Amino acid sequence: MGRSRKRKGYFGEYGGRFAPETLMPALNELEDAYAAIKRDRAFQRTFRDLLRTYNGRPTPLYHAKSLSGYLGGAQIYLKREDLNHTGAHKITNSLGQALLARHMGKKRIIAETGAGQHGVATATAAALLGLKCTVYMGTVDMERQQPNVFRMNLLGCTVLPVDSGSRTLKDAVNEALRDWTRTVRSTHYVLGSALGPHPYPTIVRDFQSVIGRETRRQVLRQTGRLPDEVVACVGGGSNAIGIFGAFLKDTSVKLVGVEAGGLGLRTAKHAVRLTPSRQSRTGVLHGYYSYILQDTNGQIATTHSISAGLDYSGVGPEHALLHTQGRARYTHATDKQTIAAFKMLCEKEGIIPALESAHAVAYAMRRAPKMPRKSIMVLNLSGRGDKDIHHIADAAGLKI
Amino acid sequence: MSRYDNAFSAVRKQNRIAFVPFAVAGDPDLRTSEKILRAYLSAGADILEIGYPFSDPMADGPVNQRAAQRAIASGITPARFFAMIRRLRAATDAPFGLLLYANTMHHLGCEAFCAAAADAGIDSLLVADMPPEESRDLLKAMRKHGLASVFIVSELTPPERIRFICRQTSAFVYVVSRLGTTGVHRDFSTSVRQTIRRLRGLTSLPLCVGFGLSSPRHVAEVRDAGADGAIVGSRLVSIVEKEHAHTGAMLAAIGRAVRRFRKATICPSGRRR
Repeated sequence: MGRSRKRKGYFGEYGGRFAPETLMPALNELEDAYAAIKRDRAFQRTFRDLLRTYNGRPTPLYHAKSLSGYLGGAQIYLKREDLNHTGAHKITNSLGQALLARHMGKKRIIAETGAGQHGVATATAAALLGLKCTVYMGTVDMERQQPNVFRMNLLGCTVLPVDSGSRTLKDAVNEALRDWTRTVRSTHYVLGSALGPHPYPTIVRDFQSVIGRETRRQVLRQTGRLPDEVVACVGGGSNAIGIFGAFLKDTSVKLVGVEAGGLGLRTAKHAVRLTPSRQSRTGVLHGYYSYILQDTNGQIATTHSISAGLDYSGVGPEHALLHTQGRARYTHATDKQTIAAFKMLCEKEGIIPALESAHAVAYAMRRAPKMPRKSIMVLNLSGRGDKDIHHIADAAGLKI
Repeated sequence: MSRYDNAFSAVRKQNRIAFVPFAVAGDPDLRTSEKILRAYLSAGADILEIGYPFSDPMADGPVNQRAAQRAIASGITPARFFAMIRRLRAATDAPFGLLLYANTMHHLGCEAFCAAAADAGIDSLLVADMPPEESRDLLKAMRKHGLASVFIVSELTPPERIRFICRQTSAFVYVVSRLGTTGVHRDFSTSVRQTIRRLRGLTSLPLCVGFGLSSPRHVAEVRDAGADGAIVGSRLVSIVEKEHAHTGAMLAAIGRAVRRFRKATICPSGRRR
């Protein structure tokens, strides 16, 4: 903390490796293995082939004309990460890390999950590559994402309920880390977002960077120019860092991250880390130094969001850096705005978005009308919303 | 001589190893946890290992996490915690080791935290999620305020890393008896003997073994393996959990348990290895 610039595993002063000593040998092993596969052509070819033939990459960049016309401003382009196999961008990272696990000779992988998307993605990668798989999931999240729990079971994965703390994503990470300290010899921990102790934020970002590379190429091909804004929702921040990466040097492109505003910033029921508030300060959680929601005594605060995938107290360290530098701007959408955006995308475009991604749509709803008609906004539609229909129905007081 | 030097040389003279019981400060509430720590001392504890509760203790098992949750719910703050330490310090010369998580440290800042800890009478710090690589600023602040350092070594730690860790360690090396988190376990890893043998070849620092020591037999095994101290945590914390509604019964049970554990620190015959 403090004067840590340019140190290994740091993004500015954020990141680091705040891990128990029992994990240090495993993290060092992972760092070395990752450095090796980065240069390993055979590994990279296998990964690319799987992304193409199994995932369905490249995912389309779709000009949402109906939505753009309705909002009456910027032309909105949707990066259709929801069309990935298993329905979200998460599979890209899970496949990469599962291949890495196999490369390291590990027979078992474990993961945490909030919305269940990363759990399903990791269970899928495990089934594909013949690895054993255990997923930790908070009991609150299991309740609101039952279809995904069943999906993981179908894929031959053990879902272990986490009943400690707030029983959501942060507690699932704690349990996964605990499992890993017991089983490091045989097990690789497939962390699902661009956070955690070094080298995870780098590994996850690199695997997800394909989103941004594809998007940049596609938008140039389709429109002949770079977009004015690139928008993504930010929980831990993997889909956002994945799409932002390719545009970091294009200083004309505004990068916008949308956090979960929950019931609003005036309440304590939200997951907004990067807009200044009494609860958001720098600190250490789950092995990395970043902006963390916490109480006045330095205990981690519980968060609230309608979307399990954004319901998390910390944010990936590279986002903390982009925020501090001002290279990316971070805003939020409340539960209510998100539900309205969810419905609008269903009705105007025939696309049911994940509640996580609907946060980015909510931002587009208020921002696009203020932009000129010739301007271009690219929105990362990180996942599809089939998993959320029960939850949406409950929120509307309906029974399916 | 530091309090640690005194404690380790005293037990050596008595032909036994140090008994180091652990408690989470503020569990079930601050006043009771002060009584628990006093009970440890009067039942013969040589060193106290005191945990500052954190909401997300990833190096701890479920018993200690629940203890931390009770402590947080009872309203512990750094200020109230240090006031309790100051009262305890007035009553004993036993060394106090503080175990905490990085976020607690960062919340006050390394410098302010170390100043407050040293002033209250803490002797050493172990930050569970701050390996030496991340502890540069912390170690500087600790040296400035006369606090000793404790770092962890496990059976997986390679020799060159053990040397690196021991260079930053000044109070004792915390030898993790088995992989995983803290907690009560029946199976006691035999690898602890090997780990201690490896460490003995690399350092002359005192070695205390912890994580999963749940019976006097475990303490005896640690003693026979050549350790300088045995740390017992979750087994005692689980007594607090079971009896937290009956302070009298709890303190009596704790006293009995600590005396049994302490008995196992005495080398049966001949000299300590």
